[in-house]
Amino acid sequence: MTGLEPTAVVLGIATLLGALGLWLMLPGGGAASRVVGALLATITVVLIFSQLPGFLSTAEIDPDDPDETQAMQLAELQRQNLINNTVFFVLAGITVAAAAATVTFRSPVYCAIWFALSLLGTAGLFLFQGAQFLGVATIVVYAGAILVTFLFVLMLAQPRGFAIYDRLSWERLLSAVTGALMVGILTLTVAGAFRTPPRWRIPLNAGEGEVAQAKPLQGLKPPADVDLRPERILAAEHVAHLGAQLFSRHLISIEVAGTLLLVALVGSIAIAAQAKPLTSPAGRRGPGADRDG
Amino acid sequence: MDETALLENYLAVGALLFGLGMVGFFSRRNMIVMFLSVEMMLQGVSVSLVAWSRYHNDWGGQMLVIFILTVAACEAAIGLVLMITLFQRSGSLDIAVWQRLREDNLPPHVDREVPELPDESRPEWPHLTPAGVEPAPDLEEVTHRSHV
Repeated sequence: MTGLEPTAVVLGIATLLGALGLWLMLPGGGAASRVVGALLATITVVLIFSQLPGFLSTAEIDPDDPDETQAMQLAELQRQNLINNTVFFVLAGITVAAAAATVTFRSPVYCAIWFALSLLGTAGLFLFQGAQFLGVATIVVYAGAILVTFLFVLMLAQPRGFAIYDRLSWERLLSAVTGALMVGILTLTVAGAFRTPPRWRIPLNAGEGEVAQAKPLQGLKPPADVDLRPERILAAEHVAHLGAQLFSRHLISIEVAGTLLLVALVGSIAIAAQAKPLTSPAGRRGPGADRDG
Repeated sequence: MDETALLENYLAVGALLFGLGMVGFFSRRNMIVMFLSVEMMLQGVSVSLVAWSRYHNDWGGQMLVIFILTVAACEAAIGLVLMITLFQRSGSLDIAVWQRLREDNLPPHVDREVPELPDESRPEWPHLTPAGVEPAPDLEEVTHRSHV
């Protein structure tokens, strides 16, 4: 390699801009700096997305010598690809933007609302990946969690973000730089790791014979009892397959997870029953002690 | 679309969610927002796992996400109870109140004092200018009785 690859340069710039943008957006700065930070963060996300395959481009399919029917098939394929890419990038943009808003809004009520939007985006991504059950389960499980969080916000928090601890952050610069570096390293790894052809890959619409021919290379062997036909993941009876897998191969894990839920239930009740407010006036500041902050 | 392209896209989104959640957990001082940030990190990992599951055509990733949901539920229960307990003791959701938490026989270790709110970002409450004078009570209105 003679010089820096353009992908690495763009991702490095994105990391820098992201750190700066997050630093400006986190609570503690003024309103103007938050606007500038949001702008920088948007540029960062667009830069990172621009390095992903399929961003603002159609499929890279060039047949050698297409006749008429092939050309029509090609056009249809490209149209589907464009739709797929658009849906993905819209969903991903909503998810990431809502996540950034969750982290940076001052009022905990708004944080909870943005978190709910981010979860909806994640569920959409799951559905788009063919994980129907997980998409629905995420919405169902986290709807309850969001409601409980709202309850907590209403009970405990300062409603409009005027508490001092909502207006200041710990180590704004350091944490923003840490997060941006983390994202930069991860995306660089992802971008670098998959430029080379993967060692073991099965086409999406492979038949039985092709699957048998797709040989795993260099120690990356599929387990003998795993059926690798594509319709296992993207099946019409997806949930039935998932349940069968869950209750046959992962039965002990299910039992352990159930036990874990029971233990967490008992433990949380025990902690809540044990907790008593301090009665001495020195230790107790009272629920309204910081209301004037 | 190419399978690799699918995987790459979803891994990038997962990394972004994880990083944002990490920043939130490090920098926010409200316990509720810290809790939400942890959930967001779990979401990032889930997105990556589902993408890998699709890529390898294997159920393992989706199984792991189901168990992540379970563990997240347990974590939410314990975390919210701890939050209630801490709120009852300090009257505030500020995590910085607890940085002096220690055993009785240990010396205090405080990283840094809690930063104070700068004056310019303190909320501005409206204050009304006094206008006019207090009217003298109308004797007839005070003593008026509609029914005798």
